[in-house]
Amino acid sequence: MRRITGKAVSPGIAMGRALLHNTTRQEILAEPISPRAVERETWRLENAVKKSRAQLKKIHLGLQKVMGKDAAFIIEAQQMLLTDSQLLNEIKGAISAKLVKAEWAIRLVERHYQEIFRSIPDLTFKSKGNDVSDVLNRLIANLRRAPATKPAAGALAGAPPGQYVLVADDISPSEAATLMSNRRLLGLVLNKGGETSHTAILARTLGIPAILDTGNATELIASGDTVALDSVAGEVIVQPTPDAALEIGRKIEQFGQYREQLKALSQLPELTRDRHPFHLYANIELPFESEVVQSFGAKGIGLFRTEFLYLDSKMSISEEEQCLIYKKIAQNVYPHPLVIRTYDLGRDKSDPTRPRREDNPSLGLMAVRLFLKEREPFKVQIKAVLRANASGNIRILFPMVTEIEEVRAIREIMAEARRELQRAGTLPKKDVKVGIMLEIPAAVRLIRHLGDDVDFFSVGSNDLIQYLLAVDRNNADVAHLYSPFHPAFVHILKEIRQEVDRAGKEVTVCGEMAGQRLPALMLLGLGFTCFSMNALAIAEIKRVFTRVDLARLRRIVARLDRLGSRSEIEELLRTEIDRAYPGLLQG
Amino acid sequence: MIEKKQQIFNKLGLHARAAAKLSHLANMFSADIYLIFNEDKVNAKSLLGILTLAASVGNEIILQAAGADEKEAIQAIGDLFDRKFDEEI
Repeated sequence: MRRITGKAVSPGIAMGRALLHNTTRQEILAEPISPRAVERETWRLENAVKKSRAQLKKIHLGLQKVMGKDAAFIIEAQQMLLTDSQLLNEIKGAISAKLVKAEWAIRLVERHYQEIFRSIPDLTFKSKGNDVSDVLNRLIANLRRAPATKPAAGALAGAPPGQYVLVADDISPSEAATLMSNRRLLGLVLNKGGETSHTAILARTLGIPAILDTGNATELIASGDTVALDSVAGEVIVQPTPDAALEIGRKIEQFGQYREQLKALSQLPELTRDRHPFHLYANIELPFESEVVQSFGAKGIGLFRTEFLYLDSKMSISEEEQCLIYKKIAQNVYPHPLVIRTYDLGRDKSDPTRPRREDNPSLGLMAVRLFLKEREPFKVQIKAVLRANASGNIRILFPMVTEIEEVRAIREIMAEARRELQRAGTLPKKDVKVGIMLEIPAAVRLIRHLGDDVDFFSVGSNDLIQYLLAVDRNNADVAHLYSPFHPAFVHILKEIRQEVDRAGKEVTVCGEMAGQRLPALMLLGLGFTCFSMNALAIAEIKRVFTRVDLARLRRIVARLDRLGSRSEIEELLRTEIDRAYPGLLQG
Repeated sequence: MIEKKQQIFNKLGLHARAAAKLSHLANMFSADIYLIFNEDKVNAKSLLGILTLAASVGNEIILQAAGADEKEAIQAIGDLFDRKFDEEI
């Protein structure tokens, strides 16, 4: 028995046979052939192309169902490469000119294209080299496969029927989607990956336990090993002893019961024990997530992050495509609201849209600042949102606002977008409500001045804490300073509640703290009633909220004023809530 | 054979989606169609070929066509470029 630790990114416990997904390249030798064999090799190649095309078509259809047309374009482009006569003619040419087997001819052609793409400075084009390699590797795999085997279905191809725990170095989002949509995946263990990767988001949404960032799981696990994934402990147990296996079995059962309870809870009304209403919404990133959020108890979508739509389409998603996606999500959650946040890009160093380097990206040209500099693409998104609002439940939310001039400029662009749609006759009667994110402390001070320009506010607690405390929570050296219980932050939350009330507007909290028990209870006690969070957290927050009395919570929270340190604040909350509701914070 | 200078107007240049549209359109004509950019000449009917050009917004390329329907081909392809590949409105 051996334990491997990693980052549990999707809750759950599972045990089963491991299937190692080998992503390393297949070794190929330059095998010479006689001129007479050229015809045979060409025929083998054509067969492999046919097979690969059929496989990609199947993957494409499956992917389109789970992830939508846009995410599936990755595969569509690969299909097109296979119908590209230039690529195939070059391989055929290599077979006859060099007198080598098809496999080696493919490698030669691949090498040629890798050189070309590597020499391109533009990252968007450079990365296309990977797609070419992907397709060519698929061809090679099909050349080497015995003719009798069935077409591959991603990494589970060729594996005997049944469910598996997939172990791999890393997998691409499209691969992840293909794998997770076919219901044969018990769990996922990767050497690489991170909490915010799309693989992680997919796993969470589809309820597949996943432990990523293990470093070397592929070296420690062999195909056929029994492995147990325990996301509660954040570990993978390889070849568990009978005792350990029994223990895991018990945990699986407990976790199943717990999930059932949570599901039952999701049907309860959103009222505290003393009958005060609250509202829980889901944060989503991928369009298809909107189809499952209601089963988790969400009343609507409090935050639809649109970055993925842009990144996935290499920034080329059209107004029409966006409009269709927004419309569909809005219908899925109707009559509950759908809040669409315009794309918040420009801060992440890995962001492909900003090849230009900034010394200080989180204080630089990002989010709303980026839009106001490049208005046209921004207007495309605004028009898509306005047009999509046929059902009337769509709202639009702008990130990273710091001053009133920005809000006015946004209003101007919106007015322009409306006029253009009106002329085209595509403006729905129902107007969208406009909101801004409160995630830079300066914006909190503006609340009272924005009465006429803004319909609602949304607290992005992660960023608000980071900007208020000057702490990058991804920097391990200072991450301990990041806390939702810092007295300055608690104070700013109070200020937000008061100012928003005075302005007569609504406010939702949509950062991570909204989905964590203790911080969420503090928010409730401070008077916040709308929360948006990862769909999986909703049932748990509901369990906690429905058991407390708002009046009592308010009294506890009122005592925080006197405390000047985050540890004291956290301690007082925990002790007092534990005293008032024993066991509430456990489990 | 005819040639036409063509500017790239769409913001993302000849990236995957635009290249896909372009090669799809080129394949509807019987003429041989080429794109010439920076001394590279690629077949406009090949998605892969177009991608290797890495042509971006603002670049000027040359469209070249030879065959029975060369005029129509250049007209239709030039039009696609001018429409910014229907990406932006």
